[in-house]
Amino acid sequence: MAGSYGRQVRTQARYALVVNLRTPQSLFFGIAFPIILLLLFNSIFAGAHDANLRFAGLSIAPHAYNTAGMAAYAVMVQTFTSLVITMTSLRESGQLKRLRGTPLVAWTFVTAYILRCVVLVGAVVATLMVLGVVAFDVHLRAAAIGGIVIYAALGTAALAALGIAVTAITPTADVASAVGPFAAVLLAFVSGVFIPVTQLPQGLVDVGDVFPLAHLATGLQRCLADNVSGLGLDATDLLVIAGWMLLGAAIAARTFKWEPQTSRG
Amino acid sequence: MSGDLAVSVSGLRKRYGEFEALKGIDLEVRRGEVLGFLGPNGAGKTTLIEILEGYRSRSAGAVRVLGVDPAKPTRSWRERIGLVLQECELDPVLTVSETLKLFASFYDRPRPIAEVIRLVGLEGKEGARLARLSGGQRRRADVAVALVGDPDLIFLDEPTTGFDPTARRETWNTIDGLKQLGKTVLLTTHYMDEAQHLADRVAIIRSGEIVADGPPDQIVGASQGRAIVSFRTPADALDGLEAELETRLQPSGAQTSFEAADPQQALLVLTTWADRENVRLDGLEVRRPSLEDAFLELTSSDADAGDDGR
Repeated sequence: MAGSYGRQVRTQARYALVVNLRTPQSLFFGIAFPIILLLLFNSIFAGAHDANLRFAGLSIAPHAYNTAGMAAYAVMVQTFTSLVITMTSLRESGQLKRLRGTPLVAWTFVTAYILRCVVLVGAVVATLMVLGVVAFDVHLRAAAIGGIVIYAALGTAALAALGIAVTAITPTADVASAVGPFAAVLLAFVSGVFIPVTQLPQGLVDVGDVFPLAHLATGLQRCLADNVSGLGLDATDLLVIAGWMLLGAAIAARTFKWEPQTSRG
Repeated sequence: MSGDLAVSVSGLRKRYGEFEALKGIDLEVRRGEVLGFLGPNGAGKTTLIEILEGYRSRSAGAVRVLGVDPAKPTRSWRERIGLVLQECELDPVLTVSETLKLFASFYDRPRPIAEVIRLVGLEGKEGARLARLSGGQRRRADVAVALVGDPDLIFLDEPTTGFDPTARRETWNTIDGLKQLGKTVLLTTHYMDEAQHLADRVAIIRSGEIVADGPPDQIVGASQGRAIVSFRTPADALDGLEAELETRLQPSGAQTSFEAADPQQALLVLTTWADRENVRLDGLEVRRPSLEDAFLELTSSDADAGDDGR
């Protein structure tokens, strides 16, 4: 039986990934867009010899700050945004209803889509970090890689759970295609991803601090900061992200619907 | 629970608020039988089939599908039924064989993919994405997905609605193939010819009730021996004919028809009258009632009788 569950998860994850890679919008917004943004931000707004940014007890080079911030944004796009749109489309088109009529085991379905997130997040975050190191002189300590993996994994779990939870309020794929990307852009602004937190009004920083993206960005920035050693883990950041993960999972488990939410005649 | 019954339903009711969609359905389907649910839109066909499929709850009544209450679907029960819903609900960017491999992974003992593809006649299309198939091919891919778990019972909800004649014929051939495999098939349709062609037995649903249940010939044969006589002479040129025939004329556009219990006698009366009155009976025709006539008669109190598919 365990073999059969393993096969179910693997097969579903593989085809979920295949569908993603055959969808041009997913490839552009999930993979190309964060890379282009990093190149633009680090070319336009930050120079190699700019003074370090100082916040939350950290001292970090602007190029490294942007690299970590864009990695956090990429995590959100590949999890939250991607799952809101995918799950709502699958539900609206009746594919979820069709799956529900088979012996499919529900947890293998969710696990497969989380695995898809893990693979895509891993690929994009690794690409951004390599780009930072190669093109922007980011200093990546060996121990910090462990910290980045932990933050990215926890961020993936939290934002994936929230993405599935939000499908409760997105009746159609059109709504999901607006809510998913818009929420990511909006949060990126107040989380210091597009504009450094040192330049944001305190009120906006406080708003951003409520949500997980700010803590994921700060966590990844901690890993790349000059004055941090070891894994670079911070209890507050980890706890806030974990809290959102539990909230998202609880809402998702209660509200997930397999049937289309709009009548089709 | 009798072993040779695939489906048994008694006293099934379904209420949506004030509206009663199913008003006490009694039904039995034997294993290996192909049953067609026929009814106008909104008669309750989809509600009934979705209760049997385990998608909807019921308000009252007893239901057994392959010996299991579909309100409490189990995984092993799902292994034994195959579903084709109203529209094609498959990912358009996956290919035929990718889609089948995906669904096959849900079953403990799936039917080999190549065999399923052959059964639905999609050889040569294995590598084509669903989005690039024609409507009929996509429907057959849909049937293939329902077959991949090698189910005992297959539900087909309006399998050919909106299809052109070629696509309908292709899908019919596939469904005929299921019959040969000995599968029990429940299909809904609002096409008379589809039910007559595919089903061993037809249940006609009107306003949440089964108003007729039997082999197509028997339903038609409720008026066995009777015939419908029609001709293209407007009814207003036929003063006095009703009294002569002792029956009601049914005008329909330029055509007039009447039912005759004894066609030979009726034709004699009709032609004698026409000769005497010097009325021409263009396009004079005598035919046995079809399933469509029986259907229209049985569902005539419904405002929306759907279209007849031709």
